[in-house]
Amino acid sequence: MSAPAFGMHLADVVPFNLPSIDYRLIAPILILMGAGLLSVLVEAFIPRRGRRPVQLIVVFVALLAAFAMVLAAAGSRAVTAEGSIAIDGPGLLLQGTLLLVALLAAMLMAERMVDPSGDAFAPRASTLPGSEDERQFTQRGYLQTEIWPLFCFSVSGMLLFVVSNDLLIMFVALEIMSLPLYLLAGMARRRRLLSQEAAMKYFLLGALSSAFFLYGSALLYGFSGSIDLPVIADQITAKPSQSWLLMIGAAFVLIGLLFKVGAVPFHQWVPDVYQGSPTPVTGFMAATVKIAAFGALLRVLYVALGGLQWDWAPMLWIIAILTMVVGSVIAITQTDIKRMLAYSSIAQAGFILVGVVAATREGLASALFYLIAYAFTTIGAFAVIAMARDSSGEATHLSRWAGLGRKSPIVATAFTIFMLALAGIPLTSGFIAKFSVFTAAIAAGDTWLVIVAVLASLVAAFFYLRVVVLMFFAEPGPETATVAVPSVFTTVALAAGATVTVVLGVVPQPVLEMVANADVFIR
Amino acid sequence: MEQIMPATGAFSLIWVLIALPLAGAAVLLLGGRMTNKWGPYLGVLTVVGSAALGVVMLLQMMGLPAEDRSIQQVAYRWVFADGLSVDMAFRLDQLSMVFVLLITIVGSLIHVYSLGYMEHDPDRRKFFGYLNLFVAAMLLLVLANNYLLLYVGWEGVGLASYLLIGFWQVKPSAAAAAKKAFIINRVGDVGLGLAIMVMFVTFGSVTFADVFGQASAASEGTLTAIGLLLLLAACGKSAQFPLQAWLLDAMEGPTPVSALIHAATMVTAGVYLIVRSNAIFDRAVWAATAVVVVGLITVFMGAIIGSAKDDIKKSLAGSTMSQIGYMITAAGLGPIGYVFAIFHLLTHGVFKAGLFLGAGSVMHGMNDGVNMRRYGALRKVMVITTITFFIGYLAIIGIPPFAGFWSKDEIIHAAFEKGPVIGALLILGAGITGFYMSRMVAMTFFGKARWEDDVHPHESKAVMTIPLIILAIGSTVLGMALLFWGHIEEWLEPVTGIATAPSPLSTAATIGISLAFVIVGASIGWIMYLRREVPITAPRGSLLTRAARRDLYGDDVNEVLVVRPSYWLSRVLVWFDRAWVDGFVNGIAAFVGGFSGRLRRYQSGFARSYALSMVGGAVLVVLALLLVRLS
Amino acid sequence: MSEGINLGETIVFWVCAGLATLGALGLVLSRKAVHSALWMALTMINLAILYVANSAPFLGMVQVIVYTGAVMMLFLFVLMVVGVDASDSLIETIKGQRAAGVLLGLALGVLMVWGIGSALAGVAPAGLERANEIDGGNVQGIARMIFTDYLVAFEATSALLITAAMGAMVLAHRERWAARPTQEQLSKARFLSGEHPGNKPSPGIYARHNAVDTPALLPDGTPSELSVPRPLRARGDVRPVDHADMTEIAEIEEVDAT
Repeated sequence: MSAPAFGMHLADVVPFNLPSIDYRLIAPILILMGAGLLSVLVEAFIPRRGRRPVQLIVVFVALLAAFAMVLAAAGSRAVTAEGSIAIDGPGLLLQGTLLLVALLAAMLMAERMVDPSGDAFAPRASTLPGSEDERQFTQRGYLQTEIWPLFCFSVSGMLLFVVSNDLLIMFVALEIMSLPLYLLAGMARRRRLLSQEAAMKYFLLGALSSAFFLYGSALLYGFSGSIDLPVIADQITAKPSQSWLLMIGAAFVLIGLLFKVGAVPFHQWVPDVYQGSPTPVTGFMAATVKIAAFGALLRVLYVALGGLQWDWAPMLWIIAILTMVVGSVIAITQTDIKRMLAYSSIAQAGFILVGVVAATREGLASALFYLIAYAFTTIGAFAVIAMARDSSGEATHLSRWAGLGRKSPIVATAFTIFMLALAGIPLTSGFIAKFSVFTAAIAAGDTWLVIVAVLASLVAAFFYLRVVVLMFFAEPGPETATVAVPSVFTTVALAAGATVTVVLGVVPQPVLEMVANADVFIR
Repeated sequence: MEQIMPATGAFSLIWVLIALPLAGAAVLLLGGRMTNKWGPYLGVLTVVGSAALGVVMLLQMMGLPAEDRSIQQVAYRWVFADGLSVDMAFRLDQLSMVFVLLITIVGSLIHVYSLGYMEHDPDRRKFFGYLNLFVAAMLLLVLANNYLLLYVGWEGVGLASYLLIGFWQVKPSAAAAAKKAFIINRVGDVGLGLAIMVMFVTFGSVTFADVFGQASAASEGTLTAIGLLLLLAACGKSAQFPLQAWLLDAMEGPTPVSALIHAATMVTAGVYLIVRSNAIFDRAVWAATAVVVVGLITVFMGAIIGSAKDDIKKSLAGSTMSQIGYMITAAGLGPIGYVFAIFHLLTHGVFKAGLFLGAGSVMHGMNDGVNMRRYGALRKVMVITTITFFIGYLAIIGIPPFAGFWSKDEIIHAAFEKGPVIGALLILGAGITGFYMSRMVAMTFFGKARWEDDVHPHESKAVMTIPLIILAIGSTVLGMALLFWGHIEEWLEPVTGIATAPSPLSTAATIGISLAFVIVGASIGWIMYLRREVPITAPRGSLLTRAARRDLYGDDVNEVLVVRPSYWLSRVLVWFDRAWVDGFVNGIAAFVGGFSGRLRRYQSGFARSYALSMVGGAVLVVLALLLVRLS
Repeated sequence: MSEGINLGETIVFWVCAGLATLGALGLVLSRKAVHSALWMALTMINLAILYVANSAPFLGMVQVIVYTGAVMMLFLFVLMVVGVDASDSLIETIKGQRAAGVLLGLALGVLMVWGIGSALAGVAPAGLERANEIDGGNVQGIARMIFTDYLVAFEATSALLITAAMGAMVLAHRERWAARPTQEQLSKARFLSGEHPGNKPSPGIYARHNAVDTPALLPDGTPSELSVPRPLRARGDVRPVDHADMTEIAEIEEVDAT
């Protein structure tokens, strides 16, 4: 066979069709990836002193441009890129939220005022903690501007994660989202060993969960002959007889996603990683990963495994209960505020799961609303944590927060708003969120689950309020942290978080309409 | 069905009733130190303004025909999701009208009184801010036109009460009391929250109009469930058995707070809730019966505790529990009793506020001492306080023509209409009331002075005594005024409905018997505590006395049933989650010890045990899925 | 045995699958990283053979070239360069961790083998030809998929690679905060430090072997620790000096002397 004949042979057998890709709809993802590439080039070609401003411009312009593209795509319902990406109401809504929250997180990451020696990141992550190198770099005011390309890639992964319509692209998106986070988690400026330890754990356990996800995808492919979510759904209805391949595959895929969500028993990384990471990264991670992972979880459950609802619902019931109870109860015993919020985020994941289990339109809408409310509250709370400091860095031990309300009433009031919202007290976003999730679950017949959820939120309210009491009722002592005066970045992020939290509690109507109109996932 | 009128005239300002104190709270709490000087006065003014507005609205309402008195004002659409639509809307009808007046007028008096009482407190501004916040939340509670908004007010008053009980946080007992009040109240709130969700699922709406309109269509089982959940909520907020334990501890708060929140208004929110939900309780017989049982138990628990406590405020708190027990019992009687529950609520709000403020005046003169065994003979130095307190005393034990007589007598009469046992028990309760109130008055104002050495009692300032006088006048005339001039029965009838049944005892006989019991009880009290000198240290007392001093073991029961199990649950969970795999503490130790081989060992140690639990979780998830399939 | 699978294939499967599993177990259970890497190579090669046997020669070749060839060799290079630190403890500090690990691992394994086995028991294979029929071959099939159905996934992977490279650089690249010292400065510093400025003795001098693990012998016949690279010393991989050799050397020297 001669060489030209080989080429002809190919052309004869398979007419090669160019894949149809609607670039307008995937523009937000492309913009963020492009921004990531651009900021890698910035790292390479701009002199060190000029990198930070240029990077900030790239990141903020990209986030805003991507958000504009999401707005422009509003109302679209289409499957593109040969079935691998599904743009629909929930997907766009989550993308928009992700971008806004990422914008606030980027502001926290850009903050340079609260720490006298620079931002929240190690001046050079490669230096040994406590070494002469580290001191020299700190003294010279070096900043690790590589965080920005990593940030861009992570956000692009999240955007892709919530709209991926097949398991392969979902896996790739999962990794694009996670890999930069593993790195960012290990780059804290202070308490670097703790940070590196956290990054290591996050990476190892994340790899394990990815393995579960991947193996599950392979098994689902074995069952259905496809990795497209809608095709899997069709195969489930076409082959209703029991198939272990399907069950084990579904279980493994769900395990991979539940890990990212932070559901019990796949939650143990959460406290360590939340505590060890630089606080802006913790806020970023806590808010956005939760959104992205729940987006993907909802899509897998509702689109691919909708036909299996009777099988996965009891399992998720148990996981939701475990998650709420373990998260709420253990949070009570925590003395470090970042760890406490980590357990709180576990408990909150449980509450969202209550809406997910409902598996109705209302369940979906309420879970989406909960995610939006939770994300803004969380980012605001971590903004405050980043500001409460002493000479050696952030003062995260609860005892250091005693009397903070008397020293800095405004910041403490903002933090109180966030705590009240997380506790689900009325006139905050958290109340509406909890209420809509619980009513959706009751309407779907999960009354007992809601009773457990309400009891868990009762327990949870206790530790949230404890912080408030500590801040306002205790007298400030010499141990009390001081609140650093932030630049406009943190101020804006904090104000935005607090405003959204209150507005969603007092006038939640527009957002509730939005989640209700987001409709269901496209199939 | 009832018709709901749009808000016109003064009614278009319903929102202002709430907005005024809320704005006051905002200015005081957010304004910082610059409002220190004039802030408290602003706080008083906002509540007085609301009271004035309330009076104007009352006048306009009185000019309307009875069926047009239910006014609704929609501020804006608050929550609207699939199938659920809730407005930020207010409903002012005859029931909420009387509450608005009670809250704003008593609230105004207590605000004025606080100007004197809290004069030397460095955090005075914050105190008035919290008080304003409370008034706003309480008004929201009674003005809401749907359960969800009511819940907002419900949580709001809880929060304000929590802040105010813990106001003197430097006292660890105050901090603990605040925490306890909060936790027990949350249990009640769970009931309300669940009730609202069940309502939404059953009726598709949570507005009063829709829920009551469709109540007849719902099954009795559902209504009973809703009723019992509402009762749980009422028990939490109104300190009824079995959620009564917090009220006694709540007396750690400043006395004006005890008067306003823990006597006159917030604790009666449970009564409001049950009366407001009359359409549900009318159709849920078992729930209504449960209400009566809870009310009766609390009448006696409160009375017994009130008889044994030596702390004047705690004794009054026991009495509050007991009196609210009367109201709850009346509310459980159904249409026979609703009106009188509210009637007693109003008179009680006035005379109990007066009694608490009187107690506050006494404490003010006694260096904040609360032990009645160290009081005595105060009538000579505190004339106005003594007289006003004595009027309150006559009102609460039910001597004609003072306010309490009329309302309590109506409840007892209604109880006889329902069943003689209930009536008989209530009369017995009235007798005990006579006893413990006489004991209090005797120990405080009569007998010999048993003051501590450095105490020099004196009458309080006018800013404190004037509210006392006004409340005393109210305690004297309010009962007659409401009954004969205000026609409270006809006034409330469109909201609550009214019914009568033949009673085994004639009105005169009921009055006679209950008065006889009261006089006997009171005489025992006077004789026991005046004839013999009151010992400064409490005698050991009977078994019942000792039990009552320990709040009838309320705390111990909570400890065994709630606190210990949750403690153990927490311990077990922590053990499962961390202790077994943890060593985090060791990790910290290694971290402090520097970068060493040990630290690295711990690092991988954690990751591998976390991974292990993930594998365990995976086994469980797979098993769970497979078991569901196989079963 | 299902139709379409001949005896040869069956034998190949069981042999290769067994070896691959053995390699995987060896990877986990080996105490030394180098051994683990080699076990992994065994697994990879056997998987490659299985792919080829399944009419997927391209995948098989890629497996050998990329994994066994590139990735594994890279692992080994890294291990060589970094060296294995003897302080890596393999002692289990958590009580019950091993037992629980084995137990849960086995439980998961049993569940999966049982589950997947029973799911696939009755499945008739479609035949190898069918799979390649659609696109006219293995390579063509993969090419079509990569450039049509999974184009986005394929392109998005580049973000992953960039992140990985970036991460490696951030964590490992050591920047200088001062100018690099010149040859002259270095030389001065070396002499001023007061330590021995010259080279350390090479391994194997005066010894019987000249491998890196054989210490040089000093004139009095004692081994010089300095001559063996530090990682080997740390690991304890230093060849002991054989005294029989010493006498032999002495004999040789005598012969030379005469």
